[in-house]
Amino acid sequence: MLLPLLERAKEKNAHFLVTPKTGASSGGVPQCGISFAPDAARIPQRALLPGEQYRFHFDMTKCIGCKCCVVACNEQNGNPADINWRRVGEIEGGWYPNTYRSYLSMGCNHCMEPTCLEGCPVDAYSKDPVTGIVLHSAEACIGCQYCTWNCSYGVPQYNPERGVVGKCDMCHDRLDEGRAPACVSACPETAIRIEIVNIAEWKREYAAHANAPGLPSADDSISSTRITLPNNLPPDTRKADFFRVRPEDPHWPLVAMTVLTQLSVGAFVTIWLLQLFGKTTRLGVAAMVSIIVAGLALSASTLHLGRPIYAYRALKMWKRSWLSREVLLFGCFSGVALLYAALLWFKLPGSLAIGALTSLLGAAGVTASACIYLVPARPAWNSKHTVAGFFLTAMLLGPLLAASLGIGDRRWLSIAIVAATAGHLLNEAGKFFWLTASDSFELQASARLLSTTLASSFLGSGALLCLGGIILPLFVPTWAGASASLLTVLAGEVLGRYVFFVSVVPKNMAASYLSAGKAAA
Amino acid sequence: MSLKRQLGLDILEEKYAYASDPVMGHTSEQKIPDTWVSTTCGYCSVGCGMFIGVKDGRAVSVRGNPDHAVNSGLLCPKGLSEHYTLEASNRALYPLLRNKRGKLARIEWDEALSVMVEKFRGAQEKYGKDALGVLSTGQLVTEEFYALGKLVQLGLGTKNYDGNTTLCMASAVSGYKRSFGSDGPPGAYEDLSQADVIFLIGANIADNHPILCQYLDANPRRTLIVADPRVTKTAMMADLYLPLKPRSDIALLNGMIHLLIENGLIDRKYVAAHTTGFDQLEESVRKYTPDHVSQLTGLTPEQIYKAALIYGKAKAPFIGWTMGVNHSTKGTETVNVINNLALITGNVGRPGASPFSITGQCNAMGTREAGFASSLPGYRKFESASDREELAALWGIAAERLPASRGWAYPDIIEGAVAKKIRALWVIATNPIVSFPNLGVLQHSLDSLDFLVVQDGFHPTPTTEVADLVLPAAIWGEKEGTYTNSERRVSKVNRAVKPPGEARTDLDIFLGLAKKLGCYGELFPGWTQPKDAFEEWKRISAGRLCDYSGLTYELIERHGGIQWPYPTGATEVKTTRLYSDGRFSTEDGKARLLPVEWEPFPEQPNADFPFVLNTGRTIEHWHTRTKTGNVPILERLSPNAWLEMNPRDAQSLGLKPHDHIDVISARGRVKSVELRVTEIIAPGQVFMPFHYAEANANQVTQSAFDPISREPNYKQCAVRIERAQIAPQYWGVRGSPRARVQA
Repeated sequence: MLLPLLERAKEKNAHFLVTPKTGASSGGVPQCGISFAPDAARIPQRALLPGEQYRFHFDMTKCIGCKCCVVACNEQNGNPADINWRRVGEIEGGWYPNTYRSYLSMGCNHCMEPTCLEGCPVDAYSKDPVTGIVLHSAEACIGCQYCTWNCSYGVPQYNPERGVVGKCDMCHDRLDEGRAPACVSACPETAIRIEIVNIAEWKREYAAHANAPGLPSADDSISSTRITLPNNLPPDTRKADFFRVRPEDPHWPLVAMTVLTQLSVGAFVTIWLLQLFGKTTRLGVAAMVSIIVAGLALSASTLHLGRPIYAYRALKMWKRSWLSREVLLFGCFSGVALLYAALLWFKLPGSLAIGALTSLLGAAGVTASACIYLVPARPAWNSKHTVAGFFLTAMLLGPLLAASLGIGDRRWLSIAIVAATAGHLLNEAGKFFWLTASDSFELQASARLLSTTLASSFLGSGALLCLGGIILPLFVPTWAGASASLLTVLAGEVLGRYVFFVSVVPKNMAASYLSAGKAAA
Repeated sequence: MSLKRQLGLDILEEKYAYASDPVMGHTSEQKIPDTWVSTTCGYCSVGCGMFIGVKDGRAVSVRGNPDHAVNSGLLCPKGLSEHYTLEASNRALYPLLRNKRGKLARIEWDEALSVMVEKFRGAQEKYGKDALGVLSTGQLVTEEFYALGKLVQLGLGTKNYDGNTTLCMASAVSGYKRSFGSDGPPGAYEDLSQADVIFLIGANIADNHPILCQYLDANPRRTLIVADPRVTKTAMMADLYLPLKPRSDIALLNGMIHLLIENGLIDRKYVAAHTTGFDQLEESVRKYTPDHVSQLTGLTPEQIYKAALIYGKAKAPFIGWTMGVNHSTKGTETVNVINNLALITGNVGRPGASPFSITGQCNAMGTREAGFASSLPGYRKFESASDREELAALWGIAAERLPASRGWAYPDIIEGAVAKKIRALWVIATNPIVSFPNLGVLQHSLDSLDFLVVQDGFHPTPTTEVADLVLPAAIWGEKEGTYTNSERRVSKVNRAVKPPGEARTDLDIFLGLAKKLGCYGELFPGWTQPKDAFEEWKRISAGRLCDYSGLTYELIERHGGIQWPYPTGATEVKTTRLYSDGRFSTEDGKARLLPVEWEPFPEQPNADFPFVLNTGRTIEHWHTRTKTGNVPILERLSPNAWLEMNPRDAQSLGLKPHDHIDVISARGRVKSVELRVTEIIAPGQVFMPFHYAEANANQVTQSAFDPISREPNYKQCAVRIERAQIAPQYWGVRGSPRARVQA
């Protein structure tokens, strides 16, 4: 791929590292013989050639963990203290007195295959064709935060004050001026530099130079950062925050949105199946209730956005982003479902075919919804259990709604409900055993959360499902029983979905031993 | 939140806008100032040159001075966020007096100073002149220290005046005086780049003086030896790390001296020409054989040989130390052993080669030079009649008015209050409730006072909260003067912004008080600004080791700091060292070799208190966190105290990482500290930072002081660790630092 460096440089009339400035000097005379690396020695001194990009070089042998880079970055970008586009983590190993604590300083890795960019539903990200810097546009961003799930390094961070995400842009405007990025310039140890990397070569060699203890594998996105590791890192070196695992953000609007869309889809599929088997009574009422649920679900989803007014922009990247596809499919589903409900309500012809389309679109929507969570950076979500769980929720809640509205044969519905509940419980148990048996840090940590901090919620949701999905349908075969059943299972599903969101342990770089306060995500 | 923001129409574009500035380059627009004010950092005594960016009368940013001799434009994280201290929410704004209901209430300055004079005079009339105690700091400018010394000793007439420096560098001061005849660090930072061997003892410069690490980086030939019981980041940088037992450094150094003498690796010519006491020294170290030293230090004999030979064969070895040495009942003597080692090898005052105390506070050196607390101004001795007469003549006063011995040191003033001999106390820019050892005794002491005045830039602090009178003071960035750094470099400090509320500069407060006392005309004739003090101080320091007489504010500004001595007539600004000619400040011009014996530290671990507690710092915070505790980014990076414990100890106590524990000594209990299980610390030892009032390490430290320097033995005390009785309110308390600051 040829990069139009020269054209662009001419176009912008910019001096692209051709005439570097050597820091802002007030013209005095340094007296002693020591002069520390000026900006110019910390950034490349030639223009990029086609097939090259900029990258960070982090020299772990030099870093003393002073965190000047973190403070300088926050000052450079005017960010509040709890948003850190550059972070410093600790890794530690060895045995007293042969102990080694090393530090990892990281901004954005300006990956060759940026996962943040791939998932973005509004195309807010771009990989600069000249510099390779992964840029994010606050103007285009709608604050969906999907990129914060997609990045293995936790680089993009949501700023609730602004309602948009932000991230390290390698201070590309400073580079453009021939100045070093703020973090590079502030490092007292010259541990951070900007280098030029040949993209094709790096794609072959990155595995040996882009990985470090305490960092997720560079495979996920081909991080461009080169890391120089000390020779003497003890083999037991691991992240200092290994034992500090905290529940993630519950994303309540998404808890509501996922459970309610699945309820609505399940209900429409149930209605359509009942219609298929010849039932006609009160199907219109059930469909109307279901369409209201779908409306609630879609409204809830916009509450998750930092900029709800621009929710429509999420349709933009349907060719690439599962989030866009979800919005598109559920949008279509709602429209067609409304038509289906109207046809049933007014008892108009053609409803069976429209019902089939509704069911198909709903199933597709639930699939898209599940696929959003299948991200390598969030390993506990990235499994078939997520897809199965979402569908089982739909399969459980749909018949329950039907039963509580008194449509369909209670016996058959009960069988469906009990079967779906059993499947659901098995799926959850299967997931838990999969987590426990895993040898990945993130999955084990998720298991640790489920069996400690979140144990009561996790077991509680299971108990509610048992009660509402098995005991009540089997032993209280009345309308009241069915209603209680729906409410109980709904509560169990909401609690279970909450557990789903908070129990995921994302891949991330090592952090400090001490908690840095709640991350702004 | 506005509706536009909630809908997402507004993303605070203006607040987050960037702009390009000719000086700063492309950066956050809100950080671009109208003017830059040149100054020196107000935290530690590395003494980094920097600029404060001022926009519409507010300090909006800082940047390192690329042309400054010390730091070449680089700053540590505290320096990089120093402008936030000026607008911290805990700044002291108005004079406050405790009223009849026991509440601090706002009063006018005039009334505040009148009450202060009335109460001080009252106590002194009733109980004697020395019933007034004064505790100052290392945070003021030299001009203020000079004025304060005169005011206290000649105006208020009490000898019982000391500073926070006694909690920090007093052992270095006493050690220098005993070995070399005067205070004053002989070396310079440049030595770190010129030495072939750098030996750091009880000094974790990577965390505490990070900007000095560059000097090591600029010196690829150096061999770095680090002696520290804890595997600090500095220890990890070492070529030879000596993980010695707590407080066994005297044994190690005597062992090295023993080996150097035995192997003929000493400079006998230098010893004969420039020192006295060699024979006694030789005799005293005879028993410090490698095997014996190995037992005392826990090091192998090989490690001891290696250290001795590396040091002994070096052409220009440098020894640096900080609190691991000073914070000890044997602090002064440890400094003497360090000096012994440097002297017998002829390694004092040569390029690269010197013993060198790396100071704590930004201007601890200034108060040592000019302060009139531990010595008369200009390193003159209380005990020397000629020094007193010389000073009295310069001031035009009767020599009898100058005390012939120093008054009580800091811990003796505190104990004096318990004994009701000190009745009124004036605390300036320091926070003893967090910084003084054995909190119980200190609280008893403060409770015993008739009147406590606390003058500080911050309120509330744990100490201002118990004051009878709080005087709001200007801080760094709000006043003019000079700081002296560790390497004797005098740098200029300038005013960038107005002090908040009614806060006044410390100098203004001192001059105002002098007027009330009626001694202004005599002591400070016509003084209105720092320069008036500086000009007089130049005259007083003339001819002394710390000679300022050739310096002017303009000259200092032009060179970004100049090292003393800089006598009248000096023209060349260059790196200076002391004692390069082998002439010391003793009467015979020779340095003293002083035999020192290793002793076990005072409170050994026992069955009830099985751990040795070590205390220290973290890079993000400064002293008692009055300055840094309200800088959001620093609080985020280091939000709470912790206790380091070896995994083997944690396992035997059944404790897990991040558990909350109490630290208990015979004197008190620090509650609910987060446990850090780590191999950084040896089995049997634990470590916690001393910055946090919320988990105050000095609740358990002991009242044991160096008999010579009076410095507290902070570094070792016996403690027990128990699982915390009360679980901390984690989620509530932590939250985001911003939320907490706003709350």
